[in-house]
Amino acid sequence: MKFILKIFLKYYLKVITKIVLFIHKPVVVAVAGSTNKSFVKKEVKKKLEEVGFSVRANPKNFNTEIGLPLSILYLPSGYNEYKRWIPAILKAPLKIFQKKFPDFLVLSLGSSDKGDMNYLLSIIKPDISIITNITQRYKEGFSDMNNLVDEYQILAKKTRKEGVLVLNIDNYRVREVGENKKQKILYYGTNKDADIFISKIEKNKKGQKVSIKQQGRKKDYQINKFGEHHAYAFAVGLAMKELCGKD
Amino acid sequence: MFERVKDVNLSTIKEIELQASKYPDAVSLAQGIPDFDTPDFIKRRVERALKRGVVAKYSLSPGLPELRELIEESLEKENMFYDWEKEILVTAGSIQGITATVMAITNYGDEVIIPEPTYTSYQEVIKLAGCKPVFVPLNEKEGWSFDIEKYKKVITKKTKAIFYCNPNNPTGTIYSKKQLLELAELAEKHNLFLISDEVYKDFIYDEKKFFSLAELPELRKRVIRIFSFSKAFAMTGWRIAYLHSDEENIKEIIKVHDSLVTCAPVISQYGAMGALEIEEEKINEFKERYKKRRDMMCKRIEKLNSVFSFVKPDSSYYIFPKINPEVADVKKKKKVVDSREFAFWLLKKSQVAVVPGVAFGPNGEGHIRLSFGRKEEDISDAFNRLEKLFL
Repeated sequence: MKFILKIFLKYYLKVITKIVLFIHKPVVVAVAGSTNKSFVKKEVKKKLEEVGFSVRANPKNFNTEIGLPLSILYLPSGYNEYKRWIPAILKAPLKIFQKKFPDFLVLSLGSSDKGDMNYLLSIIKPDISIITNITQRYKEGFSDMNNLVDEYQILAKKTRKEGVLVLNIDNYRVREVGENKKQKILYYGTNKDADIFISKIEKNKKGQKVSIKQQGRKKDYQINKFGEHHAYAFAVGLAMKELCGKD
Repeated sequence: MFERVKDVNLSTIKEIELQASKYPDAVSLAQGIPDFDTPDFIKRRVERALKRGVVAKYSLSPGLPELRELIEESLEKENMFYDWEKEILVTAGSIQGITATVMAITNYGDEVIIPEPTYTSYQEVIKLAGCKPVFVPLNEKEGWSFDIEKYKKVITKKTKAIFYCNPNNPTGTIYSKKQLLELAELAEKHNLFLISDEVYKDFIYDEKKFFSLAELPELRKRVIRIFSFSKAFAMTGWRIAYLHSDEENIKEIIKVHDSLVTCAPVISQYGAMGALEIEEEKINEFKERYKKRRDMMCKRIEKLNSVFSFVKPDSSYYIFPKINPEVADVKKKKKVVDSREFAFWLLKKSQVAVVPGVAFGPNGEGHIRLSFGRKEEDISDAFNRLEKLFL
């Protein structure tokens, strides 16, 4: 029974989500990577909202076959209780007729087994794809690292051709993903060749001072959080602003 | 032989529980164990990890990156900003984190100040580290609050840290922001660490406000904060907790942590991930049930007002009533009841297990600790017996 419900939900939500996306046509930003997805997602949402866009992002672990459509449709999960799924099932078709749909969807994509990315990309077609980094996390679901990296290759290939890839230049596996791609690529990181170049990260009492060079201009930013990953997330946020022509 | 452990005692709580187990009909209000089972959501997370075959190997010593990342996110919601890569350490229960912390920050012969009554094991860990616990009594008349002047009097050149539990076990007190800031000021002045054990911070009743010194970035090198999944998510048996502080401290604490356990149990780390992904309403559900039990227990103690007087707890799942020496049927000549004797007497007479207050420090003498983490039926049964005994 549980299995049948899961299959039903998976395809029911997928179909409705595809219709909703076709009608409302939001800009889809996919965020993928072994770590730092969540902080990058938050930073991108924050930056887009700062420049006046309405944004919807998926919460916590809502990044899989059922979680992703639920996030796009802005519906709650019923988790493991049959009764709690009823409101989601009933409300889902109403989302097709929703008047105000967000300008942007910022969605983290979870891929822990071969084929996961393909399935998620059968629901959405990203306009912008961000890859934070690739490490050995989730390697157990793949025969080797190359297989794992293939998931990200699929994401890059299925990003719209006129779209953009935002890639962490400091991770050589992520750099590999950027090779021979048709989309525009924005690199970010501490490598001088990066489009959004993090030239200095200096820890201070309140967080860290980060110097970033972008479009020929160098600027210092104070980030009131600790950890280099926040500097990277911030750089992605700046990349998004650049893409929106707001900075 | 056994020089290091000669002054270390086994917890009185366990001693009482052991004694209670000899009585077939004993009801225990002693040990602080939630009666709820671990939520299904957490179990399913662990089942998935088991099926994927990812729990058999060590994790990195500080813990699984994905768990530490989730911890950083959850801390952010509480206005605390710590780097998951360098400043968060997952431990095998809070007591292991506490042990690693105390051993890392102290030298042999140092002193650690403990406001008391407080959790029994703190003093044992301090002794195990070759240090001296220095007790500072909490003020019962002021709802078991800090009396900052008393700290000033006990600080010496050997004092290395002030170690407190907030909300406090066994009194359920939430220390006010003002008091904590005064404590921080004192710590700054005398260059002391502040160890803050906040395992009960999810069980705060009646809209009371909670503040942690770990929220202040200027104190991050001084404050080492500990949190456990045991109480909030009914996971006492999983032995999983974490601590966080500035990287300068964590890089030292991790050396002891690594020598003690290598890493926290990986299967429990997946459980902790499930806990952090859980819906908040589940924790609120626990909290509401504890609040109901607290109110129920308070009403029942009020009926026994000739035997006990108490301060209603704002948090945790304990009540710490004072025993009226005139009524208690032991050591009648003493002004303060021997709580240990009283607890064992109570167990023998009514088969109700409680923890003697002295286990929580000298200032706990004359009190007992009652846990309302237990089922309503157990609480009711225990109080029926007490009423039969005393009324």
